[in-house]
Amino acid sequence: MALLEVRHLKKTFGDRAVLDGISFDLEEGGIKAIMGPSGCGKSTLLRCINRLIEPTSGSILFRGQEVTGRDTDVRALRQMIGFVFQNYALYRHLCVLDNVTVGPRKLKRMSRREAEGKALHELQRLNVADLRHSFPSQLSGGQKQRVAIARALAMDPAVLFFDEPTSALDPVMAREVAAVINQLHSENVTVLCVTHDFELARSVADRIIFLRDGRIRAEDTADNLRNHYDDHEIRTFFGPGAAPV
Amino acid sequence: MTFVDIIAALSKGAAYTVGVTVACIATGFTVGLAVAVIRRLGWRFAAPLTNVYLAVFRGVPMLVLLFMVFFGLPSLGIQVPPLAAMMLSLGLISGAYLSEVFRGALNAVEPDEILAAQAMGLTRWQTLRCIELPQMLRASVPGMINEFTTVLKYSPFAYTVGIPEIMKQATALVSTTMRGVEIYLAVGLMYFSIYWMLVLGVWTIERCFRVPGLTHR
Repeated sequence: MALLEVRHLKKTFGDRAVLDGISFDLEEGGIKAIMGPSGCGKSTLLRCINRLIEPTSGSILFRGQEVTGRDTDVRALRQMIGFVFQNYALYRHLCVLDNVTVGPRKLKRMSRREAEGKALHELQRLNVADLRHSFPSQLSGGQKQRVAIARALAMDPAVLFFDEPTSALDPVMAREVAAVINQLHSENVTVLCVTHDFELARSVADRIIFLRDGRIRAEDTADNLRNHYDDHEIRTFFGPGAAPV
Repeated sequence: MTFVDIIAALSKGAAYTVGVTVACIATGFTVGLAVAVIRRLGWRFAAPLTNVYLAVFRGVPMLVLLFMVFFGLPSLGIQVPPLAAMMLSLGLISGAYLSEVFRGALNAVEPDEILAAQAMGLTRWQTLRCIELPQMLRASVPGMINEFTTVLKYSPFAYTVGIPEIMKQATALVSTTMRGVEIYLAVGLMYFSIYWMLVLGVWTIERCFRVPGLTHR
């Protein structure tokens, strides 16, 4: 059974269908990337799955349980989905350690000592434990991204969502983030990653979902998308010359 | 009577001035914070109430409100002690202005941080308490200092309802000594000293909670 099964998901804003019948599965321990042009509904899809945005219709099964219903415990669902935002969204008034402990303390009711132990473990896993007393304004983009990932991991989520994790980073830091996602993959963490960065998608994802105008146009491996599709849109987006490989 | 004697005579009123100021600041801070939180949470039923409160307490002069409370309410059978009358007029006016200071500071909290808190599973209240309010209070310090200073400067109105604060002591002293220049100069110095103590107090608290990259001077 897939960890996440999305079926015929639709989201409309007024007359505009941002998501128009999206269906895909995400297996436990798998990594999928969602790519597509700006405005195609990638981020909306992530936000619909963890109910930050209410889907208009369709079904989302999380470990076999329907999570679009009104009686769904949305907060429990969100605690199972670690969300890493494009611009990190670290809490500016909290040091790194407190950024990572706030979830375990407030949501898992851990004591401060327990939460700090858990936070230090995650920060060490991401090689930023020595920054634990720094504040977000004192960190580089790559360090902020690592702290944001540690914050998400501290909740022991079933799956990690990345929303454009490298769009604000230079190529060196983007490769660092790719290495971190690959490290998580080797530790059997399930990941769904929205990105514009083909290099990132190719290096981390088992399969890439290509979204356009709210619909899935293709789902395949990076190499197949680049080399074996005749569809004009896919060739334009992934074909040789579209992005450096 | 030397200048030091004048200061000593006026200092009897200084405690009342500080007491009135602190009581009105405490009232204003509590009410202003409550109004800002209610508006932030978007409780629809409370919106008309907070709008009326803000309009009335920002639109009616302080002295009129004070007299309505202190001299008007007794005619309805409600006796209000002088300090309570100051808190219900100056304190609530200060609350109305502080709620606007807090509203501006709350709007300065990054929407992505609020979204991240909700994505994590925090409730709206937890998000407000753990993420928004701590940032809001830090960003509000300059506005709060302004408002606290205004409260101090309006505190001499307490004299009109019989609280023996600095101005009342000074007026009594002038009427017996006829040395207005020195006495009112001493009054000015005392208010200036209280003002500086107030500012230093707020700055000390601000320094304790300063966060790199979030608060600037």
